[in-house]
Amino acid sequence: MAARVSTSGAALLASLGALSLLTLTYGQIALPLADTVGALTGTQSSDLARQIVLEIRLPRVAAAIVAGAALGMAGVLMQALFRNPVADAWSLGLLAGGQLGVALTVTAAAFAGPAAVSFLTFFEGPSITLAAATGVAIAALAMLALGRRVGAITLLVIGLMLGFTSQGLTSVLLHFAARAGGRVYGGWRDASFAGVAPSALAWLSLPILIGACVAVATAKPLSSLLLGETYARSLGVKVTSLRYAVLAATVLLVAPVVAFCGPVSFVGLIAPHFARALAGTARILPLLPLAALGGALLALAGDAIVHAPWEQHFLHLNAILAIVGAPVVILILIFSPAVRQWR
Amino acid sequence: MLDLRSLAVGYRNTRGTVLSGIDLAAAPGDFICILGRNGSGKSTLMRTIAGLQTSLDGVVLLDGEGVASMRPATRARRIAVVLTERQFNPGLRVEDVIALARQPFTSWRGGLTDDDRAAIADAVAATGVEPFLRRFFTDVSDGERQRVMIARAVAQTPRLLVLDEITAFLDLPSRMEIMALLRSQAKQKRQVVLLSSHDLDLSLQLADSVWLLDGAGGFSVGTPEALSESGSIGRAFDTEAIRFSPSQGRFEITTSVP
Repeated sequence: MAARVSTSGAALLASLGALSLLTLTYGQIALPLADTVGALTGTQSSDLARQIVLEIRLPRVAAAIVAGAALGMAGVLMQALFRNPVADAWSLGLLAGGQLGVALTVTAAAFAGPAAVSFLTFFEGPSITLAAATGVAIAALAMLALGRRVGAITLLVIGLMLGFTSQGLTSVLLHFAARAGGRVYGGWRDASFAGVAPSALAWLSLPILIGACVAVATAKPLSSLLLGETYARSLGVKVTSLRYAVLAATVLLVAPVVAFCGPVSFVGLIAPHFARALAGTARILPLLPLAALGGALLALAGDAIVHAPWEQHFLHLNAILAIVGAPVVILILIFSPAVRQWR
Repeated sequence: MLDLRSLAVGYRNTRGTVLSGIDLAAAPGDFICILGRNGSGKSTLMRTIAGLQTSLDGVVLLDGEGVASMRPATRARRIAVVLTERQFNPGLRVEDVIALARQPFTSWRGGLTDDDRAAIADAVAATGVEPFLRRFFTDVSDGERQRVMIARAVAQTPRLLVLDEITAFLDLPSRMEIMALLRSQAKQKRQVVLLSSHDLDLSLQLADSVWLLDGAGGFSVGTPEALSESGSIGRAFDTEAIRFSPSQGRFEITTSVP
């Protein structure tokens, strides 16, 4: 099994590297591979190539990889915590909750006056992430409380509905924020990795890195929780503190993604299933790196299709992800024995 | 090895005290069956002994140490449980389920050492789950699932094994096999095996000692022979329609059945 995990990990890593390089070469202006590599290594003389690769495309590619990895790991955590194969930050409304948190903060600042808006703009990274984290955490706590009372499918439907509600409220709030003169996060309602500025990459990555460490630390007891709460306790797991630790890791992983990339759908839901299929196990620790790599690959592939040299720029990331993702979810709902038990 | 001292079990809510004033002891190698009708407090008692629920009064001591005050990790090394409750386990294979038993012994990563693998191989051989090790836990039959959970508990190499109505879903040959397996575990590994069951016949044949709950908060303890001769079993289980016959060691229907 260990061999399977490392082989699949290496294969995923190689694909991710190749796809990153490919994504860096194309766009509005096609660059030869040699120029792209030259720009990356600093040996390229053409300023234009360097500017395009390092300042426009690299931040986008890096954001896609980091956000995809974060969503993949968060999906593993949530599917284990909720013991629900269709749980992830998007499907259970955590992303929408985070958006609502940001929208509330922006609106409040807009009505509080220009000083508040400029404060928010100046500390954009931390403040928007914090606002998103609050929203994500509240949504997660609500779903956790619900998850013990209702079945897997009911929870999924409620999560999606709460997500729609939050998104509706976000729309309304942002409208008022715009009228009051606050900065409007246009286009942000659709997920995209293109809006992440190079300076924002650190704010995106740091919480995710901490979240990944917490996730790894909780991996062993979380594996026991797959047997159910009582068995986990009989194996020495302190279930309540484990729940909060996993929740904290999820918030750290998901909040920066919401804040900087918007509600990226399906990645976190599908990546854990790919990881389980590749690893041949449901143990959490080997799943985390595989789901991270798989999520990164999926997010980057979606982004690569969006930014392919189309005649017109017409594709949205979530549209691509839905075309790939929704059928997979339908297959899971039909064929997963775990879901069948809950129907 | 296992001592219950003036133990009272129950809930701090409207259900209140279920059993109280329990003073019992068990020695290494004892195979003990807890018998009683539904609602007589078997599960509450077993959960309290296993440290999954706090006692209302008194203590449960395992090798002289209070089960309730043990660190969870320490308790997990000494007590293994098997319950009837069914959980869904996305993508867990049978071998994963059994390997999880070693978690109290492994490092933070949960990697298995040679000792862990030996304990698992031992449990797999003893319980005969080898043929379906690679199958998904959700895909095996009820009987196989119980065997897997027992294999998991055995692989935990506990001092005390607590099993709550595990034979309920099984047919008679499987029930007999599992009871015999657990008895030989107790004898070979010098563990205390505590099993609650509705299976009066088998329990009375195999148990070293029977803890009998009468359903009204009272209990009696003794060898199967002593309990059936004293009429305790009859008092706990007899209804208008059936009666325990000490001479035959089984129940008889008292009213005439058309």
